[in-house]
Amino acid sequence: MKFKTNLILTVVLLFNIALFAQDGRTLSGTVTDAAMVPVPGVNVIIANTTTGTATDFDGNYQIMIKNGDVLQFSSLGYVTQSITITNQEQLNITLQEDASQLDEVVVVGYGTIKKSHLTGAVAKVGGDEVAAVQVARVDDALAGKLSGVRIQNQSGEPGADPKIQIRAASSVSGDSGPLIVVDGYPISGNLATVNPNDIESLEVLKDAASAAIYGSLGANGVILVTTKKGKSGKVNFSYNSYASTSSKYVKDIEMLKTAGEWAKELQTSAYDLSETDPGLLAYRLDAYANAPDVVSIEDWLFKNGSTTNHDFSVSGGSENLKAFASLGYLKTDGIVKGQGYERYNGRMNLDANLGSKLKAGLSMNGYYGKQDIVPWEMRDLLRSYSISPIYHTQASIDFVQQLDRNRQALFDSGFTGNNIGRSFDQDYRGIGLDPTSIYDLQPGDVVHDWQYGRNQNGIGGTGDAGVAAKFDNSRRWKKTYFGNVSSYLQYEIINGLNIKTVFGADLEDTQTYEYHGILSDGQQRSNQTELDISNIKKSTVLSTTTLSYAKVLAEKHDISAVAGMEFVNTYYKGIVNNGTNVPFGLPLNYDFFDPADVITNEIDETQSRNGFFGRIAYAFDDRYLLSASIRRDGDSRFGANEKYAVFPALSLGWNIHNESFFGDRDTFSLFKLRFSTGSLGTASFLGSYNSLSILGTSPTAYGTGFLIPEDIANPDLTWQTNKETNYGLDTGFINNRIRLSVDYYTSDVKDMLINQSVSEVLGTPAIKLNRGDVTSSGLEIELNTKIVSNENFSWNINANVSTAKSEITSLGELTELPRQIYGGPSGRGPEFRNYVGGEIGEMWGYEVTGEVETIHMSDPSRGVGYGSGEWYVVDQNGDGEITYEEDYVKLGSATPDFYWGLSSSMNIRNFDFSFQFQGSQGAELYNIDPIYWKSQFGGRLKSSFDANDDGIADASGKFYQETRNAHGSGIQDASFAALRNLTLGYTLNSDLTDKIGLSSMRIYLAATNLLYIMADNYTSFNPEGVEIENSGYAGPTTYGYQEGASPIVRSFTLGINVNF
Amino acid sequence: MKTIYLAIVSVLLITACDNDLDQTPPLLLESSALEEFGPVLNAAYYYQSGGSTPLGVMGDFRADNMLMLESPYTAFDTYNADLGGLDLVEQFFRPFYSNLYKAILSTNNVIDNSTDATEIAEAKFLRALSYFKLVMVFGDVTVNLSPAPSPSDLSILTRQPAADVYNNVIIPDFQDAIAGLDNSGLTSGRASKIAAQAFLGKVYLYRGNFTEAATTLGAVVNSAAAAGITLESDFANVVVDGNSEIIFATPLSTSVPNAYGSATTFVGWFSGADTKSLTPLDPRLIDAFDASSAAGGGTDLRKALTIDTENMNGSNKYTGALDQDYIDLRLSDVILMYAEALNENNVAATTVLPLLDPIRTRAGLNSLTGTVSSQADVRQAIADERRVELALEGHRWFDLVRTGTVNIEMGETISSDYNVFPIPNSEILASDGVITQNEGY
Repeated sequence: MKFKTNLILTVVLLFNIALFAQDGRTLSGTVTDAAMVPVPGVNVIIANTTTGTATDFDGNYQIMIKNGDVLQFSSLGYVTQSITITNQEQLNITLQEDASQLDEVVVVGYGTIKKSHLTGAVAKVGGDEVAAVQVARVDDALAGKLSGVRIQNQSGEPGADPKIQIRAASSVSGDSGPLIVVDGYPISGNLATVNPNDIESLEVLKDAASAAIYGSLGANGVILVTTKKGKSGKVNFSYNSYASTSSKYVKDIEMLKTAGEWAKELQTSAYDLSETDPGLLAYRLDAYANAPDVVSIEDWLFKNGSTTNHDFSVSGGSENLKAFASLGYLKTDGIVKGQGYERYNGRMNLDANLGSKLKAGLSMNGYYGKQDIVPWEMRDLLRSYSISPIYHTQASIDFVQQLDRNRQALFDSGFTGNNIGRSFDQDYRGIGLDPTSIYDLQPGDVVHDWQYGRNQNGIGGTGDAGVAAKFDNSRRWKKTYFGNVSSYLQYEIINGLNIKTVFGADLEDTQTYEYHGILSDGQQRSNQTELDISNIKKSTVLSTTTLSYAKVLAEKHDISAVAGMEFVNTYYKGIVNNGTNVPFGLPLNYDFFDPADVITNEIDETQSRNGFFGRIAYAFDDRYLLSASIRRDGDSRFGANEKYAVFPALSLGWNIHNESFFGDRDTFSLFKLRFSTGSLGTASFLGSYNSLSILGTSPTAYGTGFLIPEDIANPDLTWQTNKETNYGLDTGFINNRIRLSVDYYTSDVKDMLINQSVSEVLGTPAIKLNRGDVTSSGLEIELNTKIVSNENFSWNINANVSTAKSEITSLGELTELPRQIYGGPSGRGPEFRNYVGGEIGEMWGYEVTGEVETIHMSDPSRGVGYGSGEWYVVDQNGDGEITYEEDYVKLGSATPDFYWGLSSSMNIRNFDFSFQFQGSQGAELYNIDPIYWKSQFGGRLKSSFDANDDGIADASGKFYQETRNAHGSGIQDASFAALRNLTLGYTLNSDLTDKIGLSSMRIYLAATNLLYIMADNYTSFNPEGVEIENSGYAGPTTYGYQEGASPIVRSFTLGINVNF
Repeated sequence: MKTIYLAIVSVLLITACDNDLDQTPPLLLESSALEEFGPVLNAAYYYQSGGSTPLGVMGDFRADNMLMLESPYTAFDTYNADLGGLDLVEQFFRPFYSNLYKAILSTNNVIDNSTDATEIAEAKFLRALSYFKLVMVFGDVTVNLSPAPSPSDLSILTRQPAADVYNNVIIPDFQDAIAGLDNSGLTSGRASKIAAQAFLGKVYLYRGNFTEAATTLGAVVNSAAAAGITLESDFANVVVDGNSEIIFATPLSTSVPNAYGSATTFVGWFSGADTKSLTPLDPRLIDAFDASSAAGGGTDLRKALTIDTENMNGSNKYTGALDQDYIDLRLSDVILMYAEALNENNVAATTVLPLLDPIRTRAGLNSLTGTVSSQADVRQAIADERRVELALEGHRWFDLVRTGTVNIEMGETISSDYNVFPIPNSEILASDGVITQNEGY
């Protein structure tokens, strides 16, 4: 694609056509409400054209008109007024409030529609709602706002993408992130690239019929982002700034103990130390109790974080040229050592009227984000024993040397067990880059675990490097550069018939860096070092051309239609370098590596898609509504036989309250039925060439080797389709001050794309194929109330609740897909199952009834913080033994029973107050963290606990299993209820702000996660966490697996908004 | 206004004409486009490196030479279902399994599609070797002789009886390799005629076919010198990369990737470099060396060249660290197997035992000739010799199983279920149970 040429062509077109003669004259005026308060942002449009403007902050507008034009004044919440122009020079308008608020315009795919004519399940969030809660990302602002939209803080790291799931998961393997369309352009990047302060509105297309116009991209729902546009009139400036301080929500994990705490606890009656040699016990207790300068790892790793944010925007223009521009900057210092995020956003939207019939626009968006990521697995850092300082002090050096002498004395006294005769130095690891002996340590040297003894010296330390060695010799970051340029030309062929072409390109350049030096490995093994640097550029070139028609005939027939075609090419180019045997003491540059230690993969991929689509919407007398659409899509990723598919949709609506037989419309003001059905397709997780069998290459001792392909060629690889039916009911009471909407949907996924495990006899662990069906259903209820609505006092409460259930109804000829066992390196965890009749990713295994009491441990003093590592399990079938499979039960699933949001906002004179709750109930997760933290690997019970070794505790008759086999031991309740946001703002009196030349000024205080309630049995930092980087990650199947998620953060913010 | 239509249409067309749904990767090779099979054969060699460390660990840690000290690795020394735990399977059995089946797919591709006779013969050698390793470790295994087996037909995955795999695949493939190869591959570390013969002899020994074993191994012993294979004069050199008694080795080095993913290699395990077993030396191996010294009228030099009794590990054997090749077969091994086969054929001790002399002399020991005479005693003497000569080379456990001496030598009653190792559980799941687990796991 000659992208540059095309872009220049487009730009030249935009400017060359800029000089069309203009007829008519200028009309100006002020728009106020009934209380004579100026109304900003009122759309002023010449009827049946797309020519228009909007009022500025003081309600003023200016527009070119000619006599006979009909001017329409419309704004959210007001009755639209139409005025025919005769000879007015000045036209002041007073808008009447519209209690029904039905004529809000909603953005849908390739067009807009009046809310009263809406037939699908589309949810809208206004930009003011996004801006009202100061969030770092647009997606955060959606948390809890909408029914059927689940925003989950799966990573917790600053700058990381949250998981967005619209309705039920449609795949067992592929992620289900929605399509993001910004101002009509489906972007390659994610919502981080959009500055929350630039948002005019967000629309979420939830049902298939609404999203079907996006065909193959819309299967996981669509988020339509509309950014602010310039308005003619006075130039407005806006400046927003805030500063936050943050800390982790969960203050102290009880099971993470320092050695001193452990020494105290050990001597309680919960532990029986009688089986431990008294000399050995004394030696250990001395080590735990008296180690000097101990730093708790939890205290060291976590800290207070902070965020500063600045946004500046300017908006203005003449009648024919309008501009909006913004700049944003955000910097976050994370609450975990090594975490940080920095972001710049820039946007420029230009819209021009080139004469009465031609419009053009250009929009540019730039984003730069840098994420500093903790360079080591959090669960590994936290399991480090808190028995030492991080860097040695003279006291700690003296202590370890004394401890080693104590060990020798113990050995000399005749105790020979536990390898006690071996000095600490004897088993030290490493090749001499660090101090090689505990007798050579200097204050300031990094502490390593082994310097406090190890299993071999009677104390159960690990051979890992000290945490400071891990941090000081590792680094990890990710940088993303994103730029999007899109332009449009729109021409009115005849009244109501427009042709529009959108052309643009975006480029997302992602760089990742990960370094682990030799000193970060406890044994200083060169082959454990790595320097991995990748740089991948994803660029998309898109052109969409649509022909659209909108007309109201005979006042009762509202017809709109759109037809179009879209071509998208996506290119991936980049280099992935993986280097090992990192040279010590040299700059981190591949030039210093042995060339054989650097493996370079060059990426060059192209994906092509094209689509042809059309939609007709018809409303009769605002009562009977119909919309039908169809799209045919082709995609290069599919097999040669199956590249195209057709996706139709139909939706119907009935505004019953507009019927003449409908009675009292003041108390029962809205009664509308909606029905929609449609089908969608998705390429899900497919990469560019998964339908082909591609040879990998590797250097070998004999020359280049052609490796076995990861994919088996599959010319029948095709679309996964999702047929969804939506039933909706909207009701409104007391002039719509109370509105209740209910949506129920069912969805049938056919030919589900799965990454199915296959026997490795085939040379690959898994292949991509279409297999199986999933049906889902869900109920969504939204309640919106305006309890009070006065000039000086207004109060809204909104609530929503959603459910989503799915069931696998077919898996082709199989009854079950291969189970995922995903318990990390040292635990088996539950089995994640997908079987016919079950949910996606059910967790199965032995049910546990509790941990074996620590009193039964044979030698609890061995290491800091040890639990028994054994769990009582249930013999489900009562056959007197615990047997694989036969005693399995379903332990849980990652799908909540329901999730909900509750928000309220209140304005009392100059004060504003709002809060947003978000919650989820009834999901389970498998949390592996405690297994690491307590070193719960089992095998530590007294022999008297089970004298005949039959797996049954002698005293209680209960069955027990080691943690690694006790699958239910890590199953915890993932439910939570969070007060996501609480904001208190104060807007200065306008008399005051006028004096200093500002049009408005507001200061506010906000808190994020001021309250966060988690389940009692949840024992880690983030119940929303999902481990997605582990190689066992398999999309929705393993959404229940959690490991070392970054903590939930509580923050307090002080901010200011200024307009002038 | 025509210009506007023109502009809109031209933008549209420029985009559309470049939109092609038949995308193929510009920088990568599709397997259907393959014409050169040398690199496929290279991959078959490369995949052997994925099995070396697991094989070494299974051979010595499962037996009485080495010990694992930290759970769950201790399952190597307890004979129950625990060895089938996920972590051990993922670290040892699954990489072993998957890499050898990848090697087999690569060889099948060469055998079916290459036109080069030498390439085909090398591929047959590697296919036979891969199946031999699989059968030794797992017993019955799936047999796939196709380069592109159907993913939808699960029945092809049924495990075939070990005897059938030997008779239908391993033995004929080695025979074809013998016929198709000369010894020119020895210098470059590739498959050779003599290596194929040596492995075939070893296979016969595993099958209890001592007549064929003696004939085949005897031919190797007698033709070795002509092929340039001679015993090293110093035991210190017997596992050094490229030494003169190597018949076949799997090259491992830090300068080319290793198909085995895990961090600790067999050298690391033996030398106590992994925290899971810092002092892995089983005291029974010390005893074996001491007994060898006592019976041999001197000090067995191999003891100090194999184990470090002060630090209780096996760090003295290998000096090559991460560059150490894995020795699959060397001449001492063949000589000892030949002697064993002869003894089983009732050849007199006075004929059999002198075969061991060069090995014993090198170890600083006297000849056994005349010290033992009965077939049973000679059998034991050869077995003891194998243990110390080949310690930490991944043979011990497989020798015990082959000779049916697990219980006697290990000194405990171990169910024969544990003669073989667990099939990766992922295979059973992925084949919907067509691939079955070994009894006891």
